[in-house]
Amino acid sequence: MVKGESHMAVKPPRDPQDVGYTWPTILAVAVHLLVVIFSLVKLPSMSAEPDSSSIVQATFVSTETFTDQAQQVTEQQAAMNNASEPEEPDPEPPSDEPSAAEQQAAAEAGQREAEAKAAEQARALEQAQAEAEAEAQRRAEEAERLAEQQAAEAQAREAEEQRAQAEAEAQRQREAEAERARAEAEAQRQREAEEQRAREEEAQRAREAEAQRQREAEEQREREAEAQRQREEEARRQREAEEQRAREAEAQKQREAEERRAAEAAEAAMQRQLAGEAEAAANAQQAQQAANSFINIVRRAVEQAWVIPPGASNAMSATIQVRLGPSGELLATSVASSSGDSAFDRSAMQAVEHAAPFGELRDLSAEQQRTLRQFNLRFTPGDVR
Amino acid sequence: MNDNTMSIPHLIMSASVVVQLVMLLLVVGSILSWVVIFQRSIALRRAKQEYNQFEESFWSGVDLNELYREIPADDPRHGAEHIFQAGFREFNRLMPKTRSADTVLEGVQRSMRVAWSREEDRLTQHLVFLATVASASPYIGLFGTVWGIMGSFQSLSMTQQATLATVAPWIAEALIATAMGLFAAIPAVIFYNRLSNNASRLLGKYEDFAEEFHAILHRNLQGRDGKPSAS
Repeated sequence: MVKGESHMAVKPPRDPQDVGYTWPTILAVAVHLLVVIFSLVKLPSMSAEPDSSSIVQATFVSTETFTDQAQQVTEQQAAMNNASEPEEPDPEPPSDEPSAAEQQAAAEAGQREAEAKAAEQARALEQAQAEAEAEAQRRAEEAERLAEQQAAEAQAREAEEQRAQAEAEAQRQREAEAERARAEAEAQRQREAEEQRAREEEAQRAREAEAQRQREAEEQREREAEAQRQREEEARRQREAEEQRAREAEAQKQREAEERRAAEAAEAAMQRQLAGEAEAAANAQQAQQAANSFINIVRRAVEQAWVIPPGASNAMSATIQVRLGPSGELLATSVASSSGDSAFDRSAMQAVEHAAPFGELRDLSAEQQRTLRQFNLRFTPGDVR
Repeated sequence: MNDNTMSIPHLIMSASVVVQLVMLLLVVGSILSWVVIFQRSIALRRAKQEYNQFEESFWSGVDLNELYREIPADDPRHGAEHIFQAGFREFNRLMPKTRSADTVLEGVQRSMRVAWSREEDRLTQHLVFLATVASASPYIGLFGTVWGIMGSFQSLSMTQQATLATVAPWIAEALIATAMGLFAAIPAVIFYNRLSNNASRLLGKYEDFAEEFHAILHRNLQGRDGKPSAS
């Protein structure tokens, strides 16, 4: 063993017992990481577990499905929503193409027609021009002839007129002299008459002014009265118009209100119908929940009352059919499917009997009661002791 | 939802600052205590192995002078070797100076006691830290829990209804501090007991060895006044 001793002596001095801190640190951190990982991984599985560990499972003999009704309601609504939509865009597309073709054809025809018409017009124009020229020539000739005739007539008439003028002048000179004499006398008379007339006129004018003034005053009064009347008339008309308008507005409002009420009533009726259906579905769901809670209560009670016989193994399971009275009292229990161990079956039946009066049944609706009066309970020990 | 709000990381993140500090302190304490646990375990196991090896070579009938000479003088050894070295060096130094066996034995014993006391100090170092963590961390965790529950009740007074659902996350969050305190304390307690027991057993063995060595020297001195040799 001297060899071993010498081997020991060769070792580096501080190494053997002064252990470094690197490895312990790494190990310590690793331990903590492991713990953290375990705490993260294990928790979800732990929370998922407890659901499956119930030892008594209850199954209905009969349950109603409520999902169909709800689906019907939603389908109906969907159908109603869809019904109004898809009509509009249909008629457009077929009319589109023919019209285009037609338009093109019409346009071509129109063009052709227009060309024909233009040609015709041109032809007509030429003809008309020719005719107009012929006419113009004819008319010019006629006018020439007429002018010559007229010139001859005019010369004859001029000579005659000159003679008549000379005669008329002499006559006029004579007449003018007589006239002048008469005029002087006349002027004298006239001046007197004029003075007379001026005086009369003045008096007349004063009277007339008076009358005028009176008339004007009267007219003024009349006008005022008229204006007054008109104003009154106007006011009356306005009032009437206003009343009329108010009446019309009222009538309009009433009509609108009626229409609105009718629309609302219709909508409300529809909604009530929908709501009724939805409510029926909701009721069914509620009833289902109530039934579930009742079954849960029964299950709890039976679980608590169940004394698992010592020989029971986890694989055993017994189904007990339970019939209840109307107020929840136990009428009969029978073994629907046996576990093979009579003690086990008996313990299950005793558990039901101990838990027996299920008074919660009375809280349910009549229909629910009828369906829940008979149900099966399956007993499996599971891992709960 | 429930899973998410009640998961441990979520609870830790949503805790108040004081509780989070407490948790941090506890995590640090736990990590340090585990460092000490590993370091001490390895060191003690090695010390035990070395003691066994030395004891075997010591009792194999080898000459003590030779054994002493194989240990380099300037290289301080540990464990039983250290005690043997100290005692034998003292014996060699005293032998030429005095004829009195009692004086020699007294000096040897004193130097061996000093060496033993150094060994004790070396073996049990850091174990006090483990003891501290073991005894203090439950209280620290409890402090965090109390603080968290205080906060939870303060915030509970603001709400209208105090249902179990509103109280539960707060209390769970507060209780995590206690859980962490216990998590740090339990290994510390267990390993403190185990390691200090190991160390004291090893120290007992050193003491036994010192006594035996002392007995050998004593026997040699009684037989003849010359130099001691192996028994």
